[in-house]
Amino acid sequence: MRGARGWGLLLPAILLLVLAFLLPVGLMVPTSFRPYVPLVGITNGFTIGYYTRLVSDSYYLEIIGRTLALGLTVTLATLVIGYPMAFFLARTTSRWRNWLTILVVFPLLLNLVVRTFGWIALLAQNGLVNQALQALGVVHEPVKLLFNFAGLLIALTHIFLPFMVLVLLGPIQNIPRDVEDAARVLGASWGSAFLRVTLPLSAPGILSGSILVFVLTISALVTPRLLGGPTYQVMSTLIYDEFLQRLNWPAGSAEALLLTVMVLALVFFSGVLARRTGARA
Amino acid sequence: MGSASPAVSGAAPALRVSRLRKSFGAVVAVADVSLDAAPSEFVSLLGPSGCGKSTVLRMIAGLVEPDAGEVVLAGEDITRVPVHRRNLGLVFQSYALFPHMTVLENVAFGLRRRGVGEAERLPRVERMLEMVRLGPLGARYPRELSGGQQQRVALARALVTEPRVLLLDEPLSNLDALLRDEMRVELKRLQERLGTTMIFVTHDQAEALALSDRVVVMEGGRVEQIGRPEEVYRRPATPFVARFLGRANFLTGTVAGSDAGGIVVAVDGGFSVVASPRPGLAPGSRVQAAIRQENIRLGPAGAGSDRANRFAATVVFHAFAGQTHHYVVQLADGRELEVTAAGSAPALARGTRALIEWGPEDVVLLAGGAAGEAAR
Repeated sequence: MRGARGWGLLLPAILLLVLAFLLPVGLMVPTSFRPYVPLVGITNGFTIGYYTRLVSDSYYLEIIGRTLALGLTVTLATLVIGYPMAFFLARTTSRWRNWLTILVVFPLLLNLVVRTFGWIALLAQNGLVNQALQALGVVHEPVKLLFNFAGLLIALTHIFLPFMVLVLLGPIQNIPRDVEDAARVLGASWGSAFLRVTLPLSAPGILSGSILVFVLTISALVTPRLLGGPTYQVMSTLIYDEFLQRLNWPAGSAEALLLTVMVLALVFFSGVLARRTGARA
Repeated sequence: MGSASPAVSGAAPALRVSRLRKSFGAVVAVADVSLDAAPSEFVSLLGPSGCGKSTVLRMIAGLVEPDAGEVVLAGEDITRVPVHRRNLGLVFQSYALFPHMTVLENVAFGLRRRGVGEAERLPRVERMLEMVRLGPLGARYPRELSGGQQQRVALARALVTEPRVLLLDEPLSNLDALLRDEMRVELKRLQERLGTTMIFVTHDQAEALALSDRVVVMEGGRVEQIGRPEEVYRRPATPFVARFLGRANFLTGTVAGSDAGGIVVAVDGGFSVVASPRPGLAPGSRVQAAIRQENIRLGPAGAGSDRANRFAATVVFHAFAGQTHHYVVQLADGRELEVTAAGSAPALARGTRALIEWGPEDVVLLAGGAAGEAAR
């Protein structure tokens, strides 16, 4: 009875998941094994070529590696910048607290394309950042910040920072202050209490925030497309081009499935990690 | 050590707090609180919530910085010493165990921070767990323990470092009634065995009376009275103390004079009561006479003895509470008094014509009879 009612509550979500996710992904599986012949289209053969080239061709390996590296560094950067922000917001008793929280979310209210164009204006050869760096005498030649890793890292970190802060906020707020006080009375300095008590107890938030930002980063399309240009590819832009520029659906399907598998594997392993460590907390 | 009250004079106090003061914004939480604790003494800070008792405790621990005053630990001024260098123990109402550590790791935490090596650490932790009867549970996590067990882990964690003073912030309040009584006995025995000086914050008067060598009664950020449990209970210094410790009836009146039997107080509204002699109350001074509910003897009309204060009354309310009967009786002038009687006595039904009586020694006279508030 109780179980049946529980499933009933999940029904809309399950329907949506099946119709909008599992079904299309399932349809992509057979497509990814069909040979694509230019000017003809998808033919009735069988090939695993689109998979083998993904794991053997250095062009594709570089894109996969770059995507993963971007995901990791953006996650790390949002964590390093976002944790102190979330910690401050969780602990401050200032009456500006709510306004500061809104300020964190504020960038999300601006259209993604607008924000990305803003970064282009800032990071271009003669953009604001380079002008400032040159005026201050830090560099003499303009630094290349567009169409490369640095540009994507900066822009994606900025765009996904609010997600990290918002996810971290709750778990940090849930850490009882008494527990930290207890550590200090027992002889732990502020730093030691933070490392041994506060940080481990915020692990669930760090884990879910990291998963969220990592998945958002490696699947981000608009920002890498605009800031990376047509040549500096990541997996999402590659898939986009495959489907819509080259019309090679089988190759695009294989690449999209690989990305999906990578994300699922990540979510699965972090779940295992959470059970190992977070289960105690 | 035993339960005999420790030397209050002679030995240097293990802890002395003088003229401690703390405001939060415009609210004065603690105003000029001074107290001390002799070595091995068990001192309670007793008061209603918001009276500043926890703030005093947190200032002793170093978690709250006082605006003024000083905290002296065994002769050393520690007012400006950071929390983690004070070598005190603190047990929280919420237990505040580290949820990501086992019982063993929880208890070992303080020793690790003090750089005690593993060879010495483990035996000490195990001995402490043995002492609080948690020997076999060292590998468990706090969430796998009952409330009483968690409380004992918190005690063990605080005591294993052999703190100079153990501070306890309402440690028993989160336990259910039966367990609370059990832990009360256990805590007291542990204290007697280890000889640790303890400062115990509570809002429960029975707890404070049962555990303490001395009780500090606080209200509105100030100390109302400091004394042995019998003292504060039998000879409350202020109306607040009389009202907070046990339930009493208050009669407001004027001192009419004294005779061989004691002081006669003319109660506003007619009758007079006789109280034991007490110096410093001149005729004409306003007083409140407090009479505890359990000190009033209630019997059927005509069955009285020769006690000095004897009045006819009518039972207007009766409730049976197991160990006691709870009555409200009405005097001839309409005034109502609350009376408790032993539960083993036969009950007097509502409407019964009765006699109430109490001796002069049962009356506590408190100077300054402002508008007499009704008994709690």
